[in-house]
Amino acid sequence: MESSLVALDQNFSGAGDDFPALLRRKGLLSPAAVINPSGHMAGPGQAAWEPTEATTILAFKFSGGVLMAGDRRATSGNTVVYDRADKVLEIDRHSIMAIAGVPATAWEMARVLEHSFQFFRRTQLQEMSVDGKVRALSKLLRDNFGFVMQGVGMVVPIFATYDYHPKPEARLYFYDAMGAQFEATDYAATGSGSPAVRGILYYENHWGAKPLQKLSQDEAVSIALRALDTAAESDTSTGGVDRSGKIYPLIKIVSRDGITTLSEAAIATVFKEKVA
Amino acid sequence: MIEEPYRWVEAIANRREYIETQLASGSPITALGYRDGILFLTLGGARQKIFEIYDRIALGAIGHPGDIERLRMAAIELASAEGFTRSTADVSLRRLVHYSLSPVMKSAFEQIYGPPYLARMLFAEVGELPEEDLFLRVEYDGEIATNGAIFGQARQHFAVLSGTRQSRELMESFLKAEHVPDATFEAVLKSALDAWTIGHMTLQTDDAKELPERAAVLKYRQERLADTGIEAGILERDANRAIRYRALLDKELRALIND
Repeated sequence: MESSLVALDQNFSGAGDDFPALLRRKGLLSPAAVINPSGHMAGPGQAAWEPTEATTILAFKFSGGVLMAGDRRATSGNTVVYDRADKVLEIDRHSIMAIAGVPATAWEMARVLEHSFQFFRRTQLQEMSVDGKVRALSKLLRDNFGFVMQGVGMVVPIFATYDYHPKPEARLYFYDAMGAQFEATDYAATGSGSPAVRGILYYENHWGAKPLQKLSQDEAVSIALRALDTAAESDTSTGGVDRSGKIYPLIKIVSRDGITTLSEAAIATVFKEKVA
Repeated sequence: MIEEPYRWVEAIANRREYIETQLASGSPITALGYRDGILFLTLGGARQKIFEIYDRIALGAIGHPGDIERLRMAAIELASAEGFTRSTADVSLRRLVHYSLSPVMKSAFEQIYGPPYLARMLFAEVGELPEEDLFLRVEYDGEIATNGAIFGQARQHFAVLSGTRQSRELMESFLKAEHVPDATFEAVLKSALDAWTIGHMTLQTDDAKELPERAAVLKYRQERLADTGIEAGILERDANRAIRYRALLDKELRALIND
């Protein structure tokens, strides 16, 4: 039978490919990068490979679910390329992913992930489990690791989703560039400005007015804004809050009802009262 | 044997007859456009017959489960790959069916040493306005029917499929008279149930030429509803959401049926 657009394999079984495998079969996704440490690692006279993840992303659990916030700055070396980048991305009705790292790879990863979840639901006629979703992102990171070793395409994401089974609660995960996944109990931060943010969140959680998980939405937003502003103070790659340009971080919340994106006006109000 | 042309024609005719016989007991499926979307509905059946294909596209199918599965999977793969590489807005039912599924089904049907697809499919794509909804019925031989639509002109706001031509035609003539494109959900649910009932009644007899009496339809529908379940899904017209398909539960639909 002649080949056609529809790759109809006579031995086809519905339990077959996941979405990235389908894309590879159709030649729409580059093959998993080959990890070749000898070729591209630092040698004599070569600069050591340094991870670049110029941005600040944070997420923590509060009384209304998980809040995820990211600054808007995109940089290339010392240059600010864009000041309205969206680094907090919706993957499906209950999941969001925030990215630190190379935007091209990160956005592509988000796109693959988004389609993977839909593809699974449509072909297998059931929703992908939370573990399955967390693992799918892990697999994408691992497939990308060859590029990371070559000094390009490093991505370090945070992922939050709402788990309805067995105990309904919002869940938060962070990853390393190799794809290891860690579930966060209270908070996670990634990117070049994250050390400062981690310090603040740790401090707030232990010695603040109340633990992060007890915060109201307004309190949570004000801590997120303060943390990003602090990160931007010393990290050139983090935009923080642009007071003159009135550009605020992007904040999304995952809760039982799905995803809420806070409006700029709402963030501006909290900013004026609690941060500025 | 089939080197001779007339043998080939004969083989094809036999094959057509065989497939028609196999499909003849298939329970009807209706897809009706209404104000807020498109409702897919069928009754009974041990297997799922209504499926989500992509953001704005759904499928209802009868035939062999293995063949339906392969075609369904091919449609999902094509739409997903297209939506991923370009944009979800570039995924179009017209292209999916005309350029991808139909040619493959036709060649499988005509290559008489290989197996044909034993399936009859009904696709619908929800538009921003009821006039932009698209319904396409695809036969096992790759034939595409648009239910009266003329290319580039206003379309009918429904489509149905059934095991036999007679059953399908009676359902269509019922819907032509009863169904309006800007119907409410309650109204469209009633039309869909009645159309299904008429289609299913027709499958039980060999010589139904005219629409059955209303009272008979009602009685038959109540009997069927008493011992089978409703399978339904909608493609919502709501432009604020990317994914429009939603399966409906038997329980929530029964609450809306009042006769």
